[in-house]
Amino acid sequence: MLRLMLAVVSAVMVLAPAVARAQDAEALRRELDALKKQQEQYQKAIEALSQRLQKLESQPAPGTTQPVAPAPPVAQSPSNPSSQMTPLSALDLARPRQPFALYQQRGAGQLLFDIGVTGDFVGNVTQHNVEKASAGTFSGRENRFFPREIELSLFGQIDPYARADVRIEAGEEAPGGETDVTLAEATITLLALPYGTQAKLGQMRNRFGWSNVIHEHDLPWVDRPDVYRAFLGEDGLVEKGFEATWVPDFLPFYLEILGGVFNGDNETAFGYGRLREPLVTGRVVAFFELTDTMGLQVGTSVANGVTADRRTSTLLGYDVKYKYRPDGWLHPLLTLGTEGIYSMREGTTGETKGRFGWYGWAEVQPWRQWAFGARYDATQYPAMAGFQWAIEPYLTYVPSEFLRFRAAYKHTERSHRDGFDANGGSGRVVDELLFQATFILGAHPAHRF
Amino acid sequence: MRRLTLLILTIVAATSVLGPNAQAAGKLKVVATISDLKSLTETIGGDLVEVDSLTRGTQNLHEAEVRPSMMLKLRRADAVVENGLGLDAWADVAIEAANNANIIRGGRGRIDISRNVEVLEVPGSRVDRSMGDVHPQGNPHFSLDPGLAPVITQNIVEGLARVAPDRRAVFEQNRQAFLARLEQEMVKWTQAMAPVKGAKVVVFHPVYVYFLTRFGLVQAAALEDRPGIPPSPQHLATVIREMKAQKIKAILVEPWNDVKLANRVAEEAGARALVMATAVGAVKGADNYIAAIDYNITALAKALR
Repeated sequence: MLRLMLAVVSAVMVLAPAVARAQDAEALRRELDALKKQQEQYQKAIEALSQRLQKLESQPAPGTTQPVAPAPPVAQSPSNPSSQMTPLSALDLARPRQPFALYQQRGAGQLLFDIGVTGDFVGNVTQHNVEKASAGTFSGRENRFFPREIELSLFGQIDPYARADVRIEAGEEAPGGETDVTLAEATITLLALPYGTQAKLGQMRNRFGWSNVIHEHDLPWVDRPDVYRAFLGEDGLVEKGFEATWVPDFLPFYLEILGGVFNGDNETAFGYGRLREPLVTGRVVAFFELTDTMGLQVGTSVANGVTADRRTSTLLGYDVKYKYRPDGWLHPLLTLGTEGIYSMREGTTGETKGRFGWYGWAEVQPWRQWAFGARYDATQYPAMAGFQWAIEPYLTYVPSEFLRFRAAYKHTERSHRDGFDANGGSGRVVDELLFQATFILGAHPAHRF
Repeated sequence: MRRLTLLILTIVAATSVLGPNAQAAGKLKVVATISDLKSLTETIGGDLVEVDSLTRGTQNLHEAEVRPSMMLKLRRADAVVENGLGLDAWADVAIEAANNANIIRGGRGRIDISRNVEVLEVPGSRVDRSMGDVHPQGNPHFSLDPGLAPVITQNIVEGLARVAPDRRAVFEQNRQAFLARLEQEMVKWTQAMAPVKGAKVVVFHPVYVYFLTRFGLVQAAALEDRPGIPPSPQHLATVIREMKAQKIKAILVEPWNDVKLANRVAEEAGARALVMATAVGAVKGADNYIAAIDYNITALAKALR
């Protein structure tokens, strides 16, 4: 038995290396076959790529004059890396990733955002008594020429999900050599929110009405309409806070719904300036494309806040704008518009005072470089009694898209001089010649309708 | 109150039903910034896409008015096809205001067809606006060159396939069929232009450089001495003198530009002003991409003969 076992062990010891060698040889043979197959595949791939390269090289470059259509590039297979944009799985999303780093991907000399400078100079000539009473359109700067708004704009996308806009303004607030520099706007807009929503936070020109959001240099007139100046101050409504918009996709026309919460710093209409009792805004705007050449925009706005002496103040606004642009024209032929604000402010005795103001405007632009129009203003004052009306015909000359000159005559009449009688002057009847020169240097985003 | 709620619900339900309902039909909703791209995307997408354009062919594509109706189209879009190189920069404003995360810059539904296009007239030195409305990235009117259609359509296929990867094969098949047809047309167009090869033309605005280069024509001068700025009388006088001296037979003008002025100059110089199909739909008969190129070839071959 022992012998038998010894014989078996000896046989195994002798045969095992031989079997192992045979197995190694078999494995190597298989590996060799696989490598051969792989080589054949590589060879085929190289040949395919060479053919593709030859085809591409045989295409005429756009700069050459060969009138032959180039062969189309070979279509990429579904396994191509370009299909990597398919939605990520939950596991992919949960996996740790590198932080988004644009800086590392930046090419030499490439800026990642746009820079623009806008200059807006205005001048006015009026009666001596109006100057004395500081009752002109540019209060305290009557009979002067001055830089109203020199604006540095920096804007662009922060990352794939948000953009930032920063505007720094310098302008003359009072006669003299000094120029005030202020932060006009600084906002972050979140672009990648779901369900047709978008959010914006920071310091911004509020979307109250149609014209409040427009900067001075982009307005179609030299001055902001009287109703805005009376109810919201010379600069209009500029606030710090947050607003969100929703654009539904199921309606047959464009509709935007907006809601916002702000500090309420505007001293003319609100002024409490605390989020404990914030300024709350809302706006609904609809656009109707009447024909390919005509459009009508209708909006309504609300702003509810608290004044510095903690009294409730509410503004309700409406705006309508119509534009006719004949087919193929580079500019509109006719623009009509109107806006109005109804103010409800709690008085010292608890009663609510209702005040109203509005303007209507028409502009005709028969030639690319020339436009003329007129605006009619009529407004009460939010706190004191009385009202004023004004008519302002104007002429605009636009040598190029980036340079504009405007001249206007404005006649204003007030029901009485109370509040417009500083230094013993009188601002009851005001006649003014207004001038404006505006330039745009660098980037300037296109404007909405 | 109950009646009011019922009324609102009825209106919302009715508008939902009446509104465009391509999603239900399983079609991709694509918005093109210009009509050339609408036509090409329709060709590539076939029945799988529903394409709309933000502009018409008769418009100046550099300066489209940003209307809220554009934002509504973009709000519903799965993808947007843009020309790029600054031609349709105005679309950025509409796209950002459309509140649609799919199509913002960097989104998977944003398709820029200028990728891999060999751009002409890229400024080699510092540019500023004293030179007029120059495009710092180069001339953006490459879609007028049918020879670049393979690259453009490849970009469209890649973009559509990003949004609908399962339909890539159909897009590619449609593209190959289109390119095969285009190649046949190209032979015809090349033959038509062969007798006038080397001829000089004057353009109003530098729109045609890709087209002219492709067919061996030469741009001798432009009526605008600087792009986008109306020409001065002195410059026009110089152009007329040159046209007479070089016996130039045609001025190419865009339908949105000052056609009357082009006609006056042509009359003075003993030439013809040709209103070109600068985009699909710019002139009668140019209803699709191939028809628009065909219109331009026919008009030029006839005028320069």
